[in-house]
Amino acid sequence: MRNRRIRLLAAPLLALVGVLAFAGPAHAAGATVGACMAGEIEHLIEEAHGDLDHVKHELHDNKKVQDEIEGCFEAPNPIIPEVNEIVWGGLAFLILFVLMVKKGFPAVKGAMDARAERIRSDLDAAEQAKADAQAVQADYESRLADAKGEASRLVDEARAAADQVRADLIARAEADAAGIRERAAAEAEASKAQAIADLRAEVSGIALGAAERVVQSSLDAEVQGRLIDAYIDEVAGSNG
Amino acid sequence: MADPTVTGYAEALFAVAAAEGDLATVEDELFRFAQALRSNDELRSTLADQGVPAARRQQVVEDLLGGKAAATTTALVSMVVGAGRAAELPAIVDALVERSAASRNKAVATVRSAVDLTAEQKERLASAINTRTGRQVEVKVVIDPTVLGGVVTEIGDDIIDGSVRRRLNQLRESFR
Repeated sequence: MRNRRIRLLAAPLLALVGVLAFAGPAHAAGATVGACMAGEIEHLIEEAHGDLDHVKHELHDNKKVQDEIEGCFEAPNPIIPEVNEIVWGGLAFLILFVLMVKKGFPAVKGAMDARAERIRSDLDAAEQAKADAQAVQADYESRLADAKGEASRLVDEARAAADQVRADLIARAEADAAGIRERAAAEAEASKAQAIADLRAEVSGIALGAAERVVQSSLDAEVQGRLIDAYIDEVAGSNG
Repeated sequence: MADPTVTGYAEALFAVAAAEGDLATVEDELFRFAQALRSNDELRSTLADQGVPAARRQQVVEDLLGGKAAATTTALVSMVVGAGRAAELPAIVDALVERSAASRNKAVATVRSAVDLTAEQKERLASAINTRTGRQVEVKVVIDPTVLGGVVTEIGDDIIDGSVRRRLNQLRESFR
């Protein structure tokens, strides 16, 4: 900021130095040569008291006069301008300088400050955005790492659960198969036993039915009488 | 414990039969009728049906026993049926028989057999039971074809089973 202000002040000073150093010699040369020659010739005429031949003679033969005339043709200092130019130029410069100091400089300064402030704010915003972006990136990377870890954990859990389910299903299926085999064996054994019992009952029923029919057919009055007598004898003989 | 109604009717029948002086005949006919009632479901349900008028049921009794049994027996059965106690008649007769035997200081031995016993067999059986149990008994024979052969004797809660049916049943059990 300070350097910029110094540069703004140095610029018009350099312009002033330039004007003083390179003022136009044509204007100075034109006015000075004519007046110089007119003055020299007028001086010769006065010394010759109006005798123009003598003046002509002096111009051709007198070395000193010739040198003086020649001296009029020498160029003035090309650096130093005329005084009036310096005055007007300095005045214009001062006016322009004052205007620049009062109006231009604050405007330029305000614009520069605003631009600097905008650039600074832009830089700050860029820094903030960069920081935010970095934070977002860090957060994203953190979340990504968490997500990867979570996904890995879920996969591991799912694999473990699947293994457990598979093991349970296999164990249950084996248990069911064993139970089915045992039940089938028990049912087969029970069916076999029931079939044997049924067959035995059927056979015994047939045999007993046949025996009952034989007994009934053989129980005539005589046999009935003998059975009753035998019963009476048994009751009498058992004696309690 | 005996049903008071059954006991009361038995006492009444016993008193009437004794008063008529024909206790043995009446007792025997009542016993046979009671056994017939036990073995014939249709007759038992008909006589015990309260929907049938009492006169109609008593007429059935008259048709069955009239001219075949003593008049006292027919009258007593008709009285019980008319009173609506036909279902209890077998139990009443059992009580009557026991009451009658008790009056002679004897117990009743109910003998089930496929055929009737002769008088000699009844006497020998009564003597044999007396020898075995020490009790004097009167033998009442119930014809039961399911016995097949032999005899089943019931004296109170005691049962002496010498039937062919029992032996067949034992044989059946041995097969199992």
